[in-house]
Amino acid sequence: MTSKFHYDLIALVIFAIVIAFGVPALMNYDGFELNTFARYLALAIASMALALSWGTAGLLNLGQAATFGMGSYAMAMHLKLRASDGLPDFMGWNNVSELPLIWVPFESLAFTLLAGLLIPAFIGGLTAVFMFRARIAGVFVAIITLAFLVAFQLLVINQQGMTGGQNGLTGLAQLSLPGWTVDPYSTGFYYLVAGCLTVALAIGVYLTHSKFGLILRAIREDADRTRFFGYNVATYQTAIFCLSAALAGWAGMLYTMVLEFASPTYMGVSFSLAIVIWCAVGGRESVIAAALGAIIVNMLEGRLSDVFVEGWHLMLGVIFVLVVMFMPRGIYGVITETAKRLHHPKRRHRKTDLQSSSTKQLETGQES
Amino acid sequence: MDVISNQLFAGLSMASILLMIALGLAIIYGAMGVINLAHGEFVMLGAYTTWALQTYAGIGILLALPIVFIVVAAVGWIIEKVVVQNLYHRPLDTILATWGIGIILQQAVRLGIGAESRFVKGPELLSGNTQIGPLIMSNYRIFLIFFSVAVLYGTWLLMTRTEFGMKLRAIIQNRGISECYGIEAKRIYSLTFAYGAGLAGIAGALITPLFSTIPTMGTGLVVDAFLVVIVGGLGSLIGAASAAVLIGEATALFSIVINDTLGRIAVLAGIIVLIRFRPRGLFPTETRR
Amino acid sequence: MQQLQVTDLHVEFGGLRAVDGLTFNVEEGEILCLLGPNGAGKSTTLDLICGKTQPTGGSIRLNGTEISQMLEFHRARLGIGRKFQVPSVYKDLTVAENLSVAISKRPGIWSALSRFALSDVREAGAILERVDLSSKSNELAGNLSHGETQWLEIAMLIAQDSKVILMDEPTAGMTIQETERTAEIFRSLSASHTLIVVEHDMSFVRTVADRIIVMNRGAMLAEGSIEEIESNEDVKTAYLGH
Repeated sequence: MTSKFHYDLIALVIFAIVIAFGVPALMNYDGFELNTFARYLALAIASMALALSWGTAGLLNLGQAATFGMGSYAMAMHLKLRASDGLPDFMGWNNVSELPLIWVPFESLAFTLLAGLLIPAFIGGLTAVFMFRARIAGVFVAIITLAFLVAFQLLVINQQGMTGGQNGLTGLAQLSLPGWTVDPYSTGFYYLVAGCLTVALAIGVYLTHSKFGLILRAIREDADRTRFFGYNVATYQTAIFCLSAALAGWAGMLYTMVLEFASPTYMGVSFSLAIVIWCAVGGRESVIAAALGAIIVNMLEGRLSDVFVEGWHLMLGVIFVLVVMFMPRGIYGVITETAKRLHHPKRRHRKTDLQSSSTKQLETGQES
Repeated sequence: MDVISNQLFAGLSMASILLMIALGLAIIYGAMGVINLAHGEFVMLGAYTTWALQTYAGIGILLALPIVFIVVAAVGWIIEKVVVQNLYHRPLDTILATWGIGIILQQAVRLGIGAESRFVKGPELLSGNTQIGPLIMSNYRIFLIFFSVAVLYGTWLLMTRTEFGMKLRAIIQNRGISECYGIEAKRIYSLTFAYGAGLAGIAGALITPLFSTIPTMGTGLVVDAFLVVIVGGLGSLIGAASAAVLIGEATALFSIVINDTLGRIAVLAGIIVLIRFRPRGLFPTETRR
Repeated sequence: MQQLQVTDLHVEFGGLRAVDGLTFNVEEGEILCLLGPNGAGKSTTLDLICGKTQPTGGSIRLNGTEISQMLEFHRARLGIGRKFQVPSVYKDLTVAENLSVAISKRPGIWSALSRFALSDVREAGAILERVDLSSKSNELAGNLSHGETQWLEIAMLIAQDSKVILMDEPTAGMTIQETERTAEIFRSLSASHTLIVVEHDMSFVRTVADRIIVMNRGAMLAEGSIEEIESNEDVKTAYLGH
């Protein structure tokens, strides 16, 4: 176990304490405010999921919104069925007279929860196998996942009778767990989302510090070299894609519960790129930083879009360009570099030491 | 038969638009490896410049073209100088930065001019249709097809017959050595980026009679144009042209067989498969990199 | 015992026959040096054995198993290790992390998921001692000097513990002392490993090689001990071009 791992554990514990005790206290346990913050926490899961594939493995997945949307629709389908007697209302409007087959199993809560994780994982895995077996890398991964996202969103909007089309799924029931009907404006719901995020982050922290995470970083740096050590690069890449997709699906399920509807907007290109922004602002190397990035950007958006209704998106664009140019490692990079400078204030001297010792080596080499 | 020939013409017309947008993108991507996601916004700027020229100065589309080219090229030149130039060694980050620039341009236009759609009149000269048997073709679309071929030819001449083109190709082959021979790579890159942006501006100007001019008009176009570039192959002009025709026609034909949306999905799926099996495009340049 | 059997190996790059009907065997525990003028196909031969390049014809057998059509990671798992001409360590990983990647006896995903990044390194601490890098184990590999990078790579090869190790110019850019130390390490490696080395430095070849194969234009020109090679007329002609 490395010191870095200890730092991450400490950061995780502080983070958990703040969202468990600090935030609710700060908001006076106000249901509306807590719901808004729960929304940020759900998005934070989507952002940390991207950090796993992009930051750790170097695979820029521009289709993260597709897997997010799958989770979101899975939950919405279940809640829609709970809200309607027999056929959901929009199906009637679209002349669908019988419940489509894919909808039937979503009557079951257990199936829904599993599907919200496994369907995204499966679809993510399929795209991954498709790409990584052929050793597609770099910008091509970004382009293929982007094209997939566009096609997927079109498909969902097109299948109006099945998905509610452009309107999405609205008029949902509240989730009823055994003994608890989840009111999205309750403190209990806030803790549910906060708990999910903490668990997701714990998984993420473990993954990045496991040998699995190390091999992924090695693959990011030099995939060919890693193959010559006997690692099946495609399998590793596929695994992280599946995991990341499952986490995104999880985030999507929670997001539907927060908003009480599911919409194809959250499968769009701009939402997908928004996830990339959060992740980049926080720092893609660390899952905790990526989650923080999502929370910070969304909080800013919440506060600033009230003040600058029109100008907010412009500001977001400017912030993003500045982050990419001057803080390529995000807030995380700024923090670690500052910490390093405080730790080794004499780093420059050591560099020169190194140089002189290597020149010495050269000299002795020539003498002998 | 009538439906098919009319759809084939529609496909060709769409291909000509795609080609003009994709050409600029192909040059920028081929020369510098930059995936310019702000390209759609360059198209949008071209459209708005045309609208402004027509509304406030009474200048028609065709006369406006050179002005639009210069205006949008200047915007591209500034963006290259300020942002893109600092990111050449981080190709994935250029995707992100240019996407951010796209948001900025889009929002700036939305704030400055408004989100409602603007209309531009097509040139009088090219109104009306030409009919050959059952095939009805709008004169303006016929003009677009010929114009796009002319732009392609012009760009090819620029790349192969001018000193600028020679220098650019030298840099693409080996930047370090080219600089040793006194070619200023930075300047050439800026000019190339500006040229690509200018082409997008012209494309934007020409599509104003066909599409409604709104701030978000570029977003949908850029994805398609990108696919044209990738399918065509890295920086290959002929590749981009064939890919534009292929994608334009495929979209048009699929939409007869199935509906528009499913046709588009089918084309996207086809492209994904194509990228997977031929990641270097249909016409890869035969050089060792 | 014949550990590696290369039979009638061919590869073509766009009409150029880089390796053309090459046949040789390697004994277990042997150090075989590949010599030859530039473009003779030495590095390509290593590429073909480790799977970086697919052959257009011929067979490669490792302990009797045909490997010439396998993907590179399968070959690596069967015991083929490779050191490239350009030092290829992971610059963004620390020295210890580099070593951990190299320890790849269990390359599967489940085993990687069930262990911490550096769990394996503690067992392998002795390797870092051996190349004098234990004090730098938390340093990023990108911050090492050129010589240290070479040592790290050799440490990674030892850690990988492949049965057959392919090396492309391992002493390039090394000082004389470093070369001597490398030779020493190679000799001790050959107790439990088989080495195939492409090398130009004749004094190094003289110290380590059990056997030498001289290649020219993709085929074998001569084979034998250092003395036999040095007195071979064909070799002289190939090198001097008469």
